[in-house]
Amino acid sequence: MKALTIVAGVLLVFVFVWERVDVVRLGYQIERLKTQKILLERERDQLQVKVSALAAPERIAKVATEKLGLVPPQQGQVLMVHLPGEIPSLTPPPVELIRVARHDSIGRIRQ
Amino acid sequence: MTAGPSRGRRYVMLILLLCGFCIVLFRLVTLQVLQAAELTAKADRQHQKTVSFEGARGMVSDRHGKVLAMNVEVPSVFGVPTSLESPSTVARHLSPVLHIRRDELEKKLRQDKSFVWLARKVEPEQGRRLQQLSLNGIGVVMEGRRFYPKGPLLAHVLGFSGMDGQGLEGLERLYDLHLQGEKRVTVLQRDALGRTVFPRDVAEQTPTPGHALTLTVDEVIQYIAEKELDEAVTHSRAKSGTIIVMDPQTGAILAMAVSPRFDPNVVTALTPDRWRNRALTDTYEPGSTMKAMVAAAALEENVMTPGSMVFGENGQMVVANTTIHDHDKLGWMTFSEVIQKSSNIGAAKTGMALGDQRLYRYLQAFGFGQRTEIDLPGEVRGLLKAPKEWGRRSLASISMGQEVGVTPLQMVSAVAALANGGVMMKPYVVSEVRDQKGHVLKEVLPQVRRRVVSPETARAVTTMLEGVVTNGTGTKAAIPGFRVAGKTGTAQKVDSRTGAYSSTQFVGSFVGYVPAESPRLAMIVVLDEPQGESWGGVVAAPVFRRVGEQVLTYLGVSREDTVKIALAMKDH
Repeated sequence: MKALTIVAGVLLVFVFVWERVDVVRLGYQIERLKTQKILLERERDQLQVKVSALAAPERIAKVATEKLGLVPPQQGQVLMVHLPGEIPSLTPPPVELIRVARHDSIGRIRQ
Repeated sequence: MTAGPSRGRRYVMLILLLCGFCIVLFRLVTLQVLQAAELTAKADRQHQKTVSFEGARGMVSDRHGKVLAMNVEVPSVFGVPTSLESPSTVARHLSPVLHIRRDELEKKLRQDKSFVWLARKVEPEQGRRLQQLSLNGIGVVMEGRRFYPKGPLLAHVLGFSGMDGQGLEGLERLYDLHLQGEKRVTVLQRDALGRTVFPRDVAEQTPTPGHALTLTVDEVIQYIAEKELDEAVTHSRAKSGTIIVMDPQTGAILAMAVSPRFDPNVVTALTPDRWRNRALTDTYEPGSTMKAMVAAAALEENVMTPGSMVFGENGQMVVANTTIHDHDKLGWMTFSEVIQKSSNIGAAKTGMALGDQRLYRYLQAFGFGQRTEIDLPGEVRGLLKAPKEWGRRSLASISMGQEVGVTPLQMVSAVAALANGGVMMKPYVVSEVRDQKGHVLKEVLPQVRRRVVSPETARAVTTMLEGVVTNGTGTKAAIPGFRVAGKTGTAQKVDSRTGAYSSTQFVGSFVGYVPAESPRLAMIVVLDEPQGESWGGVVAAPVFRRVGEQVLTYLGVSREDTVKIALAMKDH
């Protein structure tokens, strides 16, 4: 009985020490992960600034006109087409309404 | 067995032990009692580290969530001069990395201080290179730096913040309390190697970042306005220019462009003159654009109808011993034509028919002489004198937009009231304030200030203003496929040297809205001192057209001349 009590006592001491050591170890791990999180967040923010700068309308317009040779649509080159829905239904109605600018050369689709 | 010598030895041993014990006791009292406070503090300094944390400054984005301003952690470089062996060698290594002159760095490093900033908020790459150099006595800490990724876009509205993260101008200043991150000081435990052991309270470590602002501004519309304004200012060689685009139904500002522009990322080299938001800090005499409001007052008060006949006095009329001129020698014309041809004499007669009290009351109701209370700093009231201060010519002058000082924002707000059926809306630029979790803390809803004129009057004025664009002075503002209502304005500036109206310095402007039947945009274009041609109808009206055309296309507003045609769908 006495021996058993001693063994249990020693075990308890071991568990206590092990727990303390583990708490310290986990503490270090938490710190490491936190540092990693901060570094990743920093990188994310830097990338977000970069994305925003690259997506600036001024830059896109410059690349489009100077690099790709695009020009803004001239008068009458923009056609607004309003259709009832994006996805065509299975049984389309025989006649659809579309709106087109009058002065455009759209004889092809005019009835 | 004799006890003598052994007893003697025992005494010696006892005395030695007592002495030793006394020494230990003395040392113990010294450490634990006499030096206790000092040593505890020293120990704390060694194994505790006090760190001040500051939450990141809130983000600012446009109405579609596009980032306009945000904080990023970047390295700041400091030196510890007292621990340097050779300041000149260190300065030689640092100079090419920090792009700072060697002698300048060396001067800082030779100071008798334990801490000096060498360069704050440098590029991340510079920080990395410094860490590779690993110089003794040189350290790097991370600090939040404000970035404006779109450069000069919307700079006059956004403003900028200072080195320590405090808002200095524009929205950054007005919403500083919201944008600022929380400041918190935490004590961390350190081990023998100087690494931080988990803090006493983990939750204490993360200070909350500042609130994020969502604006009513659309970055694409803003870009269109800035691009066209810059071109117009360059082309007309004007001193400066302003464009404001507003949603007349709500008062939401869609764009506010001021030229010349500046980049809020690099403001140190600029003077305050450059970052002043002229759209609300500068007043000008509006000239003929004021006639739109005078016409609305006259129609509302039944002093005139669009068909009322007015005599143009063949281009000259004497009022209070001064002569008022018209551009053309006009005879009899309808009231609509007075506005269409922008007749000064017609407008003066309308003002006289209204009388000083009524005219003053309407101009006040349209918001002149008072702040619009937009959520931007630095707004001025403008100038609208009370009738008792008016001279004999004032009634006529004010009716044609002289003797009053308005800001472009006041003028566009007044015209927006004509566009939306007669209601003054409060202009605003921030639509939402959110916390770091995305919860809406404050939502700004359109705010009606007052009704100025009836919907019928607003409609009648709209028809008259459409005439300005179809047949009058503002034909260059016409946008094909849309009905445009607007008014041109050309005002002589007062020469600061002579105090009289200058014959060479003008302000050319155009203010209007489109589509006239259900306006989506109210816009003002103001060009200050354009050289050569300075008529509002020549310099400002085309800018209105170019911006309006692009913005309407961007917003997907259907052209009036679109027709519905039947298209037979082929069976597939």
